[in-house]
Amino acid sequence: MPLAMTFKVLVVDDQLTMREVTRLALQEMGVRQIIDAENGDDAFKKATTQPLDMIISDYNMPGMDGLGLLRAVRGHPAVRKLPFILVTGRGDNALVVSAAQAGVNNYIVKPFTAEMLREKVEAVVGKLS
Amino acid sequence: MSGFEQLKITFFEECNELLQSLESGLADIREGTGDEDTVHAIFRAVHSIKGGAGVFGFAELIEFAHVFETVMDEVRKGNLATTSDVVDVLLRANDTLADLVEMARKGEAVAKGYGNDARHALEMLLTGGDEQGKQAAPAPAKEETEEFSFVPIKADDFDDKPQVEQVRTFSIVFRPKPDVLKKSIDPGFLLNVLRSMGKLDIVADTAGIPPLSTLEHDSFHIGWSGSLETTSTREEIESIFAPVAADCEFMLTDLTPATVTAAPAVEAAPPPPAVEVAAPAAATPAPAPVVADEPVAAAPAAASRPQEAAQPFLPAQEASGNGKEPRGGAKQPSSVTIRVELEKIDRVVNMVGELVIAQAMLQQVIDELPEHTGAKISNILSDLVRHTRGLKDSVMAIRAQPVSSVFQRMPRLVRELSAKTGKKVQIEMVGETTEVDKTIIERLSDPLTHIIRNSIDHGIETPADRVAKGKREEGTIRMSADQRGGRIVIEIGDDGGGINCERVLKKAREKGLVDPNAVLTDDEICNLIFLPGFSTAETVSDISGRGVGMDVVRRNIQDLGGRTTIKSEFGQGTIIQLALPLTLAVMDGLVVEVAHQTYVLPIPNIVECLRPGQDEIHRVIGAAGALNLRGDIVPLIHLADVLCVDQAADDRKNGVVIITESSDGTRMGLIVDELLGHQQVVIKSIEENCGTVQGIAGATILGDGHVAFILDVEMLSSMTSADNRNLPPAAVADAAMNAARLN
Repeated sequence: MPLAMTFKVLVVDDQLTMREVTRLALQEMGVRQIIDAENGDDAFKKATTQPLDMIISDYNMPGMDGLGLLRAVRGHPAVRKLPFILVTGRGDNALVVSAAQAGVNNYIVKPFTAEMLREKVEAVVGKLS
Repeated sequence: MSGFEQLKITFFEECNELLQSLESGLADIREGTGDEDTVHAIFRAVHSIKGGAGVFGFAELIEFAHVFETVMDEVRKGNLATTSDVVDVLLRANDTLADLVEMARKGEAVAKGYGNDARHALEMLLTGGDEQGKQAAPAPAKEETEEFSFVPIKADDFDDKPQVEQVRTFSIVFRPKPDVLKKSIDPGFLLNVLRSMGKLDIVADTAGIPPLSTLEHDSFHIGWSGSLETTSTREEIESIFAPVAADCEFMLTDLTPATVTAAPAVEAAPPPPAVEVAAPAAATPAPAPVVADEPVAAAPAAASRPQEAAQPFLPAQEASGNGKEPRGGAKQPSSVTIRVELEKIDRVVNMVGELVIAQAMLQQVIDELPEHTGAKISNILSDLVRHTRGLKDSVMAIRAQPVSSVFQRMPRLVRELSAKTGKKVQIEMVGETTEVDKTIIERLSDPLTHIIRNSIDHGIETPADRVAKGKREEGTIRMSADQRGGRIVIEIGDDGGGINCERVLKKAREKGLVDPNAVLTDDEICNLIFLPGFSTAETVSDISGRGVGMDVVRRNIQDLGGRTTIKSEFGQGTIIQLALPLTLAVMDGLVVEVAHQTYVLPIPNIVECLRPGQDEIHRVIGAAGALNLRGDIVPLIHLADVLCVDQAADDRKNGVVIITESSDGTRMGLIVDELLGHQQVVIKSIEENCGTVQGIAGATILGDGHVAFILDVEMLSSMTSADNRNLPPAAVADAAMNAARLN
């Protein structure tokens, strides 16, 4: 059975458009279970209370930002190994360095296509289909 | 519609919200009331627009937003102070950004070089106004490449940290509250996490499961208790349950002998009885006389109230009454609002309207029942009436929006117009949070725009003129909105030159709009500017046009059931007041009878009803005389006369006088034959079928199924004062009424 069939992703972004873009891209890859959260705090709660296979989170959000979420996840015994992809703006290399130090699995630069996202996701978890 | 197209719609909706927060954020900064959060919010708004634009490839929008974002980033980092010059540039950039979004929305091509001024100004901010320093300007977004070396980390690349810690044994009680599933919390997941930490030995307590007949599929009734042998620390275990503290009861007790060093004094409450109920047969070490060092989060309350804790599963949750622990959910900033299509709300509004009618019909039937049966039903019905009214108010509140959504467009207009005319104008706004029906808001934009254009073009003087008159150089336009009675009143005032009554009257006479011999008060003269085709501006400018505006303004407001008044003092300024109904769909009406016909008068227009004695009526002025109402003389008129309904003179009962007040404060006493009652009525337009009939605002269906006309008190008042009776209402009214009768 392809991995995509059972793969469950949490998409985190304060902007509805970006959540929907990511959702569409994931659906194109065959991912069926997609949940979302519009801020870091809500995302953390969702991530630590149900089985997930990946978090894809934007960096820039009010309240807890993507980096904060990453650190919180990495500091939580139950989910500290959860694959995490950070969505960043163009050219924000300093952020990527901080994220790498915090243990991010991969990052992707906005705007991205479904194909770009697939590459990033598969680099972390292997072939989806 | 494809997912992508739908996404575009979402994006532009979101853009509107972002642009609004941008505009209001910048306004706050200009006023000096903005703080760091405001700057962050502005940055995020621009950033989000750029991000979304990237998805759809709106190149011009992306590039402009990129420069804007770079500047906001500098402001955010404190490298750029928000002086008034800087804020001006940002405001202009905001306007340009809004335009670019609008062009993208309409799919228009962006004119070459559009927004270059604003962009250049932004770049100047980055280079500190130094033309030579251009290289410091942000590189165009698209030229940047991803030349960054980053090796993705495979999901299973994580090393488990070597575990040398001591093995501890914890007793665990875990009871999710019944609604956890609705909050997408998976208790099984949490148990699996526990299991992965060591040796978990638990027993499920199923005593709380209700009988099948009352079992809800999405309620959760199982709890667990048992023990966990693990190398993890208490903190680690607790951190797993911390996010769900408000949604689960979780008790953790360290049974490892080493920790039982606490003095007996600490030995707090006896072990929670809940545990005993949970699994009496289970080999849990819990109920022993252990030191219950403080239980986690939601637990303490349960322990301190045995009578509650004894019940297997508490409903969510009075037990946390001590208020110490954070209650989950309450602080979640998300999901405070949801997006609903307007059409869906309108459907509800319509259904509430039908409900109001059905209820009135029911009332009618009950009134005809014999008393002993009727009284009982009547009681229940009065509850229903109250709830329907509550429902109506709630639905209307959903449709209501703060006027700020239209007010917020005005500062930009003022900026543009003052730049164009060379006048200095500032705008003040008061009461933007006043809420009014969305339909009304949407149709307010044009009239307000027109009024402000007029104010700036004709009202406010040039800076030199103002100084010469001893006024401040900068003119002020003041917009305010507030709710008075059942209406919302919007005022737009300026401190400009005011209306020159002499010139207006002269012009009106020249154009034959006023009888040469008529003597008019200043107020009446001011109102002449609302006449179609009236313009006094010596020069016609491209801003306010040829004066066709003001009559359109009045008509727009009238179409909304509102009224326009103007007050002006020559040399001091002008105030235009718009009084609008709060909603267009349902209203309170007084049902009256005249010449065996039923009519409805809007309650907001009614001051009082009375049956005057003969000696209070002075038969001097007008056909029906005048009433001395506690010292005020109010002209009386038979409603039958205004509506031109044939009624034999001796058929007139001279029964009830209804004192009405129109929005300009004019009072009038309408004589009707009978008052039939008070009713909520649903306004149905008659324009489609009968055209516009003067004096009739619409129609409604009464409880008995008959159609009744809703009278337009404003119009009735002007019809009588103008003695303007060559209207067709009676004939139309009769014909339409007969045709529309339902039963």
